[in-house]
Amino acid sequence: MRTGFTLTAFAVLSAQLLPGQLGRTGPPSAANPLARDQAAVEAGQKQFQQLCTGCHGRSGQGGQGEGQGPDLVNSWEVRRASDTELMNWIHNGVKGTAMPAFALPQEQIRQLAAFVRSLNAPANSVPVPGNAANGEALFYGKGGCGTCHMIRGRGGYLGPDLSNAGLAHRVSELRTAIVNPAALSTSGYKPILLAGGVRGIVKNETNWSMQVIDETGQIHLLHGAEMNSARLQPGSWMPADYARRLAPNQIDDIVAFLSRQAVRAEAEADRRSPRPAQREQN
Amino acid sequence: MKIFLFAALLGATGIAAAQVTDQDLRKGPDQNWLTYIGDYAAHRFSPLDRINRANVARLSPKWVRHIDTQADLETTPLVYRGVMYVTNSNEVYALDAVTGREIWRYTATGVRRRGVNRGAAMFGDSVYFETSDCHLIALRRGNGGFLWDRDFAGGDRAYSCTGAPLVVKDKIIVGVASSGKACFIAALSANTGEEVWRFRTIPKQGEPGSSTWGQFPLDWGGAPAWTTGTWDPDLNLLYWVTGNPWPDFGGDRPGDNLYSDCVLALDPDNGKLKWYFQFVPHDTHDWDANETPVLLDADFGGRARKLLVQANRDGFYYILDRTNGEFLLARPFVKQLNWAKGIDAKGRPIVVPNMDPSPGGIRVCPSVHGGTNYWAPSVNVSLGLFYVVALEECETYYSSAQQPVPNSGFRGTGHTSIPSEPGEFFLRALDVKTGKLRWEYPMPGPTTMWAGTVATAGGLIFTADDSGDLVALNAETGADLWHFYMGSNLKASPMAFAVDGQEYITMAAGSNIFTFGLPAQ
Repeated sequence: MRTGFTLTAFAVLSAQLLPGQLGRTGPPSAANPLARDQAAVEAGQKQFQQLCTGCHGRSGQGGQGEGQGPDLVNSWEVRRASDTELMNWIHNGVKGTAMPAFALPQEQIRQLAAFVRSLNAPANSVPVPGNAANGEALFYGKGGCGTCHMIRGRGGYLGPDLSNAGLAHRVSELRTAIVNPAALSTSGYKPILLAGGVRGIVKNETNWSMQVIDETGQIHLLHGAEMNSARLQPGSWMPADYARRLAPNQIDDIVAFLSRQAVRAEAEADRRSPRPAQREQN
Repeated sequence: MKIFLFAALLGATGIAAAQVTDQDLRKGPDQNWLTYIGDYAAHRFSPLDRINRANVARLSPKWVRHIDTQADLETTPLVYRGVMYVTNSNEVYALDAVTGREIWRYTATGVRRRGVNRGAAMFGDSVYFETSDCHLIALRRGNGGFLWDRDFAGGDRAYSCTGAPLVVKDKIIVGVASSGKACFIAALSANTGEEVWRFRTIPKQGEPGSSTWGQFPLDWGGAPAWTTGTWDPDLNLLYWVTGNPWPDFGGDRPGDNLYSDCVLALDPDNGKLKWYFQFVPHDTHDWDANETPVLLDADFGGRARKLLVQANRDGFYYILDRTNGEFLLARPFVKQLNWAKGIDAKGRPIVVPNMDPSPGGIRVCPSVHGGTNYWAPSVNVSLGLFYVVALEECETYYSSAQQPVPNSGFRGTGHTSIPSEPGEFFLRALDVKTGKLRWEYPMPGPTTMWAGTVATAGGLIFTADDSGDLVALNAETGADLWHFYMGSNLKASPMAFAVDGQEYITMAAGSNIFTFGLPAQ
């Protein structure tokens, strides 16, 4: 209770991905035994910096200008590719494109593939540095995240529910949401003060009505003149200073904790062997 | 910073979200509508009368909310304190019930199927719904936050789920459907989703009823439980209905095929079977008994009795004593009925010979869609009327020499419509105690509209006709008082609620939710 501001700490994770979009990505297959290996991911990252950033950009999000390599982070092709396909693309190049062959030893190909996979895959299917148990303690303690974010019913109402954060988001998105929340949309989470100073978030707003969820989980349906009783606030309830307030290893710990949050993880993995959609009438 | 400090203090002492209690659920509809069936007896009777015979002609659309991913919504929305909860396949939406604007949406990920969904359940500060692959998901009502996910069919892909769960005390009752696998009804803890009991709708070898299948593999028999049942709190009996035996149109399953096409009276605390009544023994026409089992207290045969009534897919309106399952009466509510001469004193159909599906085809009435179906009926107790959407239709049923293969889509061949005999829908008002027709409202059209009903204290009955209109009828006479063309297929049931004293009528139509009210004064 030292300052109210500490209690407002939470991370806004925008719904930039369509629900289920990442559900098509499962954990890497046995074809790349290094796919879940943290050291291999880090080694792959070093190679990527030397060999790949010229075309694919420093962060893998695509090069600038004509003839540059595609965005690997958001690529559907990469997301759908098996580990074997991914390694073949690196080793043999991609016909009909500017992607050259990299005649590297198998070990290095595997490391590169592990890193590219980590760029693209949901957080719960890749190795993540950090201590998840410490992250949980920070999430509900010093970090204050749980004041506004809920995981499986525990936590607050002012930020997005993070019960499925590890499947719905990539590691890079989780990290960005914490250290640079200004980069993310606040749609559905715009801050508002209700009568009596109660904090809320605007889920929807028109000229005639506003739908607000307050910090205690109450829904406020403001119609017509009732909207005058509430005051929209600038920015976001999400503090912008976590990068300064928390040590890098603490942020790693929180990311590790969030990456473990997954609803129906087994079913998600199961979707990698897709079956025809079945439609039932009764 | 002062503002934040104040807000934090207030947040710490904030009022907990209002709880939907057992008492709220037992009370039935008022300004809220808290269960798929409206009330535990499934009368679907709203006590609201602001919209009534005198003013219903002025009923106007208030809002329309489009649901992106569904062609034929079957959901009955729930409403609690001005918020409407609507289900789609593997999704729940919380909408401002006065404006239709979205408050939150939960989309289940990783679901292996898509299918229709008929609605959610509500208890405490949670909202519950079933995914198409038979997980029960609990959400925090305030924000749609995920609480838990229970895979109550154990990941078995033979099962699918479309129904609305039913809250009974501290349990959530669910049922599964299949095409070639024995089905079940289960009770899950409302707090954790853990399974408390399970009742197999087809007995295991050696259990009572297992001898009613000949040598047919009991694991295949179907008897799905895909709709929502009812509960009598005083008798503490749960009434759940089951569907047809598999293969739908025949196969080598000699005998009555228990517990297909039954109403089962179960103890909701432990799932023990107290009694059962089978409507169609050895069904070969896919006449699921999954129509709503409605509970009524009325004088019958000179004394007050606790009744269970059902307009069944087989074309008969049944009255049973719900304390013990005793058969009391059955009367056809459709004219197109040629498979049975009647129902005998014990409740068993007097079957017309040679009406089973045949290689050359046999004309049987009702059609496979039934005299009625999951289309919700309603009751106006003061008028003594039971309102049911009835389909007059016959079809040709075929059999095949092909051997049945479970879960392959094979149903034992099937049925075709008879072009020279188009079907026709009617809204029929039956005397609840005799099943006699009091009035009917014809609904011409292509027989594609599968809507249910809601009755209100405004002296009205709302349903959707077969040409796509939501209609309001005089509950006493069937005179039509208002209609509105909804512009799409209608497969859901309307419901009524109120916010700030204003009454509204809502119905899902095609991929939209329509809400109507009276013009502002």
